[in-house]
This record gives sequence, C-alpha cells and structure tokens, in this order.
Amino acid sequence: MTAVKRLPLIIAAALWAASLGMAQATAPAAPPAAPITANDVKNVETPKPEVRVKGDPDGSLTGTVSDIAVSDSKKGLSIGDALNQIGQNKIAINFVWTLITGFLVMFMQAGFAIVETGLCRAKNANHTMMMNFMVYGVGMLAYWLIGFAIQMGGVGGVANLGGAAPLNTEWTFNLFGKPFGLFGQHGLFLTQGGTYDVAVMVVFLFQMVFMDTALTIVTGSAAERWKYTAFLVSSFVLGAFTYPLFANWAWGGGWLANLGTNFGLGKGYCDFAGSGVVHSVGGLTALAVAIIVGPRIGKYTRQGKSNAIIGHDIVIVLTGCFILAFGWFGFNPGSTLGASGNGSLRIGSIAVNTMLAGMTGGFGAMFYMWLRYGKPDASMSGNGLLAGLVAITAPSGFVNTVGACIIGLIAGVLVCLSVEFVDRVMKVDDPVGAISVHGANGLWGVISVGLFADGRSNYGGSWNGVNGSVTGLFYGDAGQLVAQLIGVGALLGVVFTISFVVNLAVDAVVGQRVSAKVELEGLDLPEMGQLGYPEFELKARPVVAQ
Amino acid sequence: MVLAGILITALGFIISVLSLGMTSSVGGRMVMVLIGLAVSLTGIMGVINRAYLKNAIWRK
Repeated sequence: MTAVKRLPLIIAAALWAASLGMAQATAPAAPPAAPITANDVKNVETPKPEVRVKGDPDGSLTGTVSDIAVSDSKKGLSIGDALNQIGQNKIAINFVWTLITGFLVMFMQAGFAIVETGLCRAKNANHTMMMNFMVYGVGMLAYWLIGFAIQMGGVGGVANLGGAAPLNTEWTFNLFGKPFGLFGQHGLFLTQGGTYDVAVMVVFLFQMVFMDTALTIVTGSAAERWKYTAFLVSSFVLGAFTYPLFANWAWGGGWLANLGTNFGLGKGYCDFAGSGVVHSVGGLTALAVAIIVGPRIGKYTRQGKSNAIIGHDIVIVLTGCFILAFGWFGFNPGSTLGASGNGSLRIGSIAVNTMLAGMTGGFGAMFYMWLRYGKPDASMSGNGLLAGLVAITAPSGFVNTVGACIIGLIAGVLVCLSVEFVDRVMKVDDPVGAISVHGANGLWGVISVGLFADGRSNYGGSWNGVNGSVTGLFYGDAGQLVAQLIGVGALLGVVFTISFVVNLAVDAVVGQRVSAKVELEGLDLPEMGQLGYPEFELKARPVVAQ
Repeated sequence: MVLAGILITALGFIISVLSLGMTSSVGGRMVMVLIGLAVSLTGIMGVINRAYLKNAIWRK
C-alpha cells in the first residue's frame, strides 16, 4: 500500500483518536442528583390536545405522564402515583412475559402429539392423537381441582409476580430437627384460601402447562396398546397428586428446595425449569406404565429378540420436534417468571443455552447412530434434539454456553444408549423413546446442575433462600451435587413407586391393556370408533428384525 | 416379587434421606445417597421389571 493510499486511513485514525481524547478531556463531572419534588412531578409537560388530535405517527406523544393513573384528581399527580406506576409496570412486564411463555409451552402439546403419532403405526393414529389431545383437558381439570393447591399452596409468594401472597400454607413435619414441607394447602379451585388473585392466576397458568407436559410424556411409552379408559384415570391421578407432590418439594417451598437452608447442601435442590420436576416425573411414570402394560405384540420374538416397529410418518415426527424446540423457549426462559428485576435479564443467556444444548443433542445422537449403524437415523436425531433440550431444562439458568453444549452433547449420546438399554436389556417396549428422552435425560439434567453450575447467575442475590449463586462441583461446591442426587433419589424412590402403585391399581380396576384382537386390528376403530386415515388402505406389514 | 421390588425401590429413597441426619459431611452424604440410588435402581430394574419379564406376552 502506498503512502497516498494510506493517507485517508491515517487521517481517519487521527481524528478518531483526537475525538476520543477530547471526549475524555472535556467530559464534565456528573452533577449531584437533586431530589425529585412534588412540583417536579406536577410540572412535567403533557402533549396538548390540539397537537394530540393531529395523530402521532412517530409515537413520541403516546405513553406520557398523562397516562399515569392519579389517585386524587384534585391534588393531581404525586410522586406516590409515579412510583406506583413504576411498580405496576414491572409486574405487568413480568405478567405478560410469564403468560406468553406459558402459551408457548401450551403449544408444545401439539409437538408431542404429532411426534408420538408419527412414531406409531397408522392404524393407531387417531387413538394416539386423542390421548395427546385429551390429556390437556384431563390434566387441567385435575390440576385446577386439587393439583395446584398441593404444588403451590405453600410457596409463600412469588416476588417477580408481585407476591401471590395467599399461597402461604404448607403442611410440614419435623425430621432431624428441621421442618420438611410435604404439600401445599391453599388454592383448591383457585378460590379457596384467598387465591382468587391476579398473580395466583398467572402462576396457575404457567404451572399448569408444565404439569401437562409431564402427563403427555406417558402417552408415548404406552401407545398402541393402552386402554383409553385406563389412560384417562392414570393421567388424572398423575395431574392431581403425583406430579404436584414432587413439584411442591422442588418448586413449592417443600423439603428438597430447603436442603440448602436446613442442611447446608448448596442452594438446595435446584431445577430451574423442570428436568426433574417435569421430564423425569413424566419419564419415570412412563417407565412404570410401560412395564405394567407390557410390550406390543410382535415387538419381541419368543427368544426375547427385539424387533423394530417402524412409525408411519417421519415427516410429522421431525416437524413435531421443531415445534417442541420452539416451545422450549417458553419452558426455560419463562421459568424466570419475569423479564424485569431479580436477575431476570438472564433470559437471553437461558434462551441461548437452550438452543445450544438442543443443537449438540441432535448432533450427538446423529453421529452416534451414523457411526454405530451406518446411517444418520432421523427419528433418533429428533430424539437427540429433545434429549438435549430435556437435559438443559434444569441447568439452563445456572450454566454458561460451554456447559450447555457439553450437557446437550452427552444427552444426545445418552438417549441412544438408553433406548438400546431399555429396548434390549430391560425389554420394555417404548414406541417413542419417552423413557430415555425424558426419564434418563431428565435425571441427567438434574445431576448436571450439580456439576456445571458456574456460580455466575444472580437472581436477586439468593436461590431457595440461600445467599449467593448456584455453584456446581466443577466450580467448587460438592454440596450442590449431593442436593441434586437426593432429588434423583426422590424421583426414583418416591415418584416411580407412587406411579407404579397407582397404575397397578388402575390395572386391577379398569385394566391397562386392550385385547390382542383390538391391538392387532389397530386401536382406532375399537377404541375411538373412527380411523385416523379412513381413506387409506392399511395393510399389515411384517416387522423388520434389527 | 413385585411387592418386594416396590419396597426395595422405596428403601433406596429412605437411605438417601437418612444421609441428612446420619452425617454432616458432604462426602459421607454423597456415599449414602449413591447407595440409595443403587438400591432404588435395583428395585426397579432388577426386581420389578424382572418379575414382569417372567410372564411377558412374548414368552407365551
């Protein structure tokens, strides 16, 4: 480059440096802040009506001091009015954030429905869709009647949503000299105990869609042979009792959340958005039901060799995975229960962690299958994406992006190993891989908090009532890992056991499994009275040996 | 057999919770909790599931 060509660059650099220096040299010292007086507030100019009536194309006249509610019109605007408006704005932002992310989570039901239906045979399409469709209503009814009160009735307030103060009664007992919260007692029908309250309604909506996610996991593992009546009863009990019980322990002020304050174990059991509460509860219940219902006819030979039974539509399976990945942006970032205050601006970090873990999960499963079987299996790649998302759900609020990628990658491989283990060693038939995607990777997500939490999150200076940030073993706090493992123990030892016993009772009363004749014919006509694809000619297809 | 599996699975949880009262060291609690997890997994996979496999539909 010649000197002439360099000249403009040199001049530009010199001007930039000079301007920087001048800015630094001439920047005046900040004047001392003057206290705001009542007169300052009263003298704020408002757009004149004759100007306002001409319209506001650039938006500068809309949303001004004239929009602040005045408590006493004779006195005019006061500082108190302005501060109340600021407070209400913060809570309004958090209400809207929590509601909209809840709506996203609700839409995940559609994703689950088509993933599960696509992975089943066409002769069971209507039955599988109906289970996924009605689980929304069954779960909501159970949760409104009973479940919400058990889960959140003793949470003691949600600061980001302005309180939810009526949720203040937890049933506890003493063990080792410490209180153990077991279940909440306020919120039946969303009226009992003063719970007819705007903040309580927001909490209910958000928690309800989470609960329904857990319920819809079970329909996948028992698909293609689960009696519809048994599904209805089993789902109701899960939504009314089993799920809310564990959710209370983790999120409702119960004993797991207080392992930090009572026993010095990190910040207590930490499950940011529900790897354990939602996915493990759903996945372990799916395991319990799948064991009781038994494998589909033709799934195993007389020698116990596993046969692959291929689903009927991989296109809707992967479309469903995309819908779920989209909905997960409600699941994880929404779990801050706000976008303003108490460290809620971490929603950006949480969203990025979520998408990264899903990505590495998809890659982990795809490359595992490619290396092991010679092809990048589509359905397992989809399950890998979901496994990464499941695993990052608990740690999404506490880890950095590198941690998120590692967690997702491990999840992607783990789901493949787990599917093989469940299928070939346990000989439990799980048509959609729900036990592995949600059960195994939910547990992995819970454990990963105790390993990868980097101690950099700060949600108002404390978590679960313990000062400081959640910090895992790799960043110096082994106690956090112990708290997480105790949570895993509760999931395996309590949630699985309750789900298993409940479904044994359902089996005894209404029967869990359809008859062999119905199963061979397909569940659509005998159970639902209508084929999923009435204009298709469905032909029996021999199962393909693996 | 199934009942035994249920009890063993629940026992694993009790072992995990007992770690809170029996020791205050993180290492001690970690060991007890891991033992509890192993017991629960044995109950689920080694006892309950095995009991169901004995009468599995594909054996008939």
